[in-house]
Amino acid sequence: MPNNNDRADVGQLWRDWLTDTERQWNTFFNDVMGTDSFGRFLGGYMDIYSTFQRLVAQNMERSLSTLNVPSRSDVLELSERLSSLEERLSSIESSINTLAAAVGHPSRPAAVTQLRPRRTRQPRSQPAGAK
Amino acid sequence: MVTVRIPETPPLTEIFQAEAVKRNLDRVRRGMDFILDRDPPVVGATPKEVIYSKGTMRLYRYRPVTDEVYRIPVVLVMSLISKPYILDLSPGQSLVEYLLREGFDVFMVDWGVPRPEDSKLTLEHYVLDSLPRNVEEVQKVTGEQEVSFLGYCMGGLFGLMYSGIFHDAPVANLVSVATPVDFEGMGLFRRWSDRRWFDLDRIVDTLGNVPPDMIFRSFEMLRPAERWAAYARLFDNLWNDAWVKNYRLFNRWVYDQIPFPGEVYRQMTKELMWENKLMKGQFTLGGRPVDLTAITCPALNIMAQHDHIAPFAATQPLTTLLGSQDKEDVVLKGGHVSLIAGRNALFRLWPQLSQWLGARSV
Repeated sequence: MPNNNDRADVGQLWRDWLTDTERQWNTFFNDVMGTDSFGRFLGGYMDIYSTFQRLVAQNMERSLSTLNVPSRSDVLELSERLSSLEERLSSIESSINTLAAAVGHPSRPAAVTQLRPRRTRQPRSQPAGAK
Repeated sequence: MVTVRIPETPPLTEIFQAEAVKRNLDRVRRGMDFILDRDPPVVGATPKEVIYSKGTMRLYRYRPVTDEVYRIPVVLVMSLISKPYILDLSPGQSLVEYLLREGFDVFMVDWGVPRPEDSKLTLEHYVLDSLPRNVEEVQKVTGEQEVSFLGYCMGGLFGLMYSGIFHDAPVANLVSVATPVDFEGMGLFRRWSDRRWFDLDRIVDTLGNVPPDMIFRSFEMLRPAERWAAYARLFDNLWNDAWVKNYRLFNRWVYDQIPFPGEVYRQMTKELMWENKLMKGQFTLGGRPVDLTAITCPALNIMAQHDHIAPFAATQPLTTLLGSQDKEDVVLKGGHVSLIAGRNALFRLWPQLSQWLGARSV
């Protein structure tokens, strides 16, 4: 009659086999992928991929322009202008905060910045979890 | 009169109480949870607030949980490659939570998800503009001049570059975890980006930011059999709540890739991967030399024994480049991610980190 020990052994055998097999396959693939040929193949694939991306982007740009619809580059341009606006607003906000603090009206900071625990902690002999 | 003895547990119940049956029923139940993504794991849950932001970058301060903290705050600097919640994975498995409980005042620089226009951002932006500004904000909030940097992977590189340029930077302690410095030791990544067949300029000029899928595939190619073995292990352990929870947490992070800023990718490939300038002491940013020998603060270099992403050969020379007197190398069991965020990190890395940093944060 099969006993639990036998089942446990089979289970462990399977796990050991899985680990060994995984390691062997990874080693095999790493050896293959570490060759110059594979590197050249990957470089070629990346060339084709980027050429394809460029062609798709160019065609899409032309098509959208023909349809008088904003293209990706239009949206990107808009996004860059928005980022630039954000930066300028942030700079103005910072200047206002500085001026306000100088005349005695500091702005309301985030609640967490108002937390001021005592900075007097000393190290203990064993941190939590140490074995 | 015939006495009939009714068994205490009916035979059917006994069958369902058998260990093997229970396990298989648990497998089915958790398998459905996994496939349907029911009750997804909560990540990055430690309470925090944004104290400074610019573009996609956020500087967080985590809410202190002790009345008393170490004098010197610790600033976690994350890599650009992945999302930072790996450092705050889940309650009970969070480096941030651990450091807070140990009495550190914890901040985190989260670079955010790069937008298409961020493809033009360079290393100069991150190291010369953003990091110093973040340090200023931490100084304002804490009232302390000095900070400790704890950089993970590329975050460690940022800490090194910052300290190597700003020699009077208020960095009290520098901790680098799985941080590659010798890019000749980067194994397959170096082979694949060999300039003989890798047209870097064309790729960056065409794509802008490196797509997250490309990053994910490149990591997966380092261990091609891992995914399928992981599925087999998942099936084997579906009955185990804790195992499945851990798997789902890591799985979520692994698949939650983000784009990588194109110009940073170009710079790092040309100057670090190809020329290995940091190791040779020839690396500059914005025309300013990154002089690692000028770093004299206490430094801790933590490496993973089985790191296949930042191999030991790439991370080991770090302390040899520094001018610090107080410097230490620690090699721990684990891989690139499990070193800092795995279940065993609670017993391996985190206590050592707390002890080393704590002694130097008063």
